[in-house]
Amino acid sequence: MKDANEYLDKLLQELRRGTITISVLSQLSEPQYGYSLVTMLEEKGIHVEPGTLYPLLRRLEKQGLLESKWDTEETRPRKYYLLSETGKEVYELLIVEWQQIVESMSNVIDSKGGKKDGDD
Amino acid sequence: MEMIDRYIYAVTQKLPQSQRKDIAEELRSLIEDMLEERVQGENVTVNDVEEVLMELGNPRQLAQKYKGTKNYLIGPELFDSYMLVLKIVLISTAIAISITFIIKTIINPVTILDHFVELIVAFVTALPAAFGWTTFGFAIADHFGDIKAKDLEIGTEWKPSDLAPIPDEKRQIKYCEPIVSITFYTLLIIMFVFSNEYLGVWIFQDGFSDVVPFLNNETYTTSLLFLILIMGIGITKECLKLIYGKWTYKLVTYIAIVNVISTIAVLFMINGNAFWNPDFLLELTQAGVITENSDGYRTVSMIWNQSTLWILVLLVVGLIWELIDGLIKANKK
Repeated sequence: MKDANEYLDKLLQELRRGTITISVLSQLSEPQYGYSLVTMLEEKGIHVEPGTLYPLLRRLEKQGLLESKWDTEETRPRKYYLLSETGKEVYELLIVEWQQIVESMSNVIDSKGGKKDGDD
Repeated sequence: MEMIDRYIYAVTQKLPQSQRKDIAEELRSLIEDMLEERVQGENVTVNDVEEVLMELGNPRQLAQKYKGTKNYLIGPELFDSYMLVLKIVLISTAIAISITFIIKTIINPVTILDHFVELIVAFVTALPAAFGWTTFGFAIADHFGDIKAKDLEIGTEWKPSDLAPIPDEKRQIKYCEPIVSITFYTLLIIMFVFSNEYLGVWIFQDGFSDVVPFLNNETYTTSLLFLILIMGIGITKECLKLIYGKWTYKLVTYIAIVNVISTIAVLFMINGNAFWNPDFLLELTQAGVITENSDGYRTVSMIWNQSTLWILVLLVVGLIWELIDGLIKANKK
């Protein structure tokens, strides 16, 4: 028999995969570079592996959701990412969808208790 | 710091040339950011570098994430048809090799051991080759067939009315029938390509001595093209049956079109150039099978001269019967 934690790990991984994109988009109304994003998200309680985040940024750029620019004026050149116009639009739509999911999910989870309370 | 260079190299060498430089620069600045954060102004030690690189993970996996492309040869859209074709190809190859062995053994039974060795060698070389080429073909199709694969995704726009009725036993085309036919056509092609010299009347004098061929050797190359074309049309037809899986009016219509095309091809082939061996009767006489001006000669001569007509008649009757049979089955409710 597998430990419950093993199941949990796998399911959590699947669950996080989609939310990472939303988290990244949410932080990029201001330009950020790869590592600053990692720390920003970490502070907000969202853990992202750098090895996952960096390729993701490039992929989102390729899809047209992000724009990027090299900044060579600092001590070390850094590539900054920023939401594109499409990216902003997509992010707005995503938020709406996400809030609906949260709402429905809490309904689903709460209804278990609701049933026990009897009919209304 | 050499370790960082090695890490970046390990990641980028697996990436397309056009992206290498940019990713390398970005990765370097990111690694330096991570190091800086870790040491907080102190000197960077090898240990720190190692820990940062460990955090980034296996360079191969990182490169894979950067590429973001598929890491398979034949995708799920093509996999089913790949398995099907692979089975057909392997089975026909195996049968062809075995038949070659049997024919050779009949012709020259003394050297059966040699034939057997050839059989084994053929199995060991031809089967992997068949496997390889089929896989190669499908891998190419998968690589360049992105648009096609999307067309194949009929399932994306789906409505309940699209649901196929539970197959009616009477209208159903059994899975094995087209496969047997395709195998048969493949074998015929192999036979025509490799052993034209054995297609004819076999003369046995003290064992196997000669063959009087049915077909004209001089025009055989042209005839062969037609034969392969006709067999190819046949295979296409069987594939259609496989795809549809049951008799419908649409399928019957397609088969009718295909049959008309193959009949025209056959007519062209038989009438177009000297298809049959013009010296067939002469060679038969010389081989001593029949003697001139005997009853036997007249019979054989009649059969030989009429054969074109009868083959055509049989073929057309067969093809029409296939259509009628299909229509009857499609009509059943």
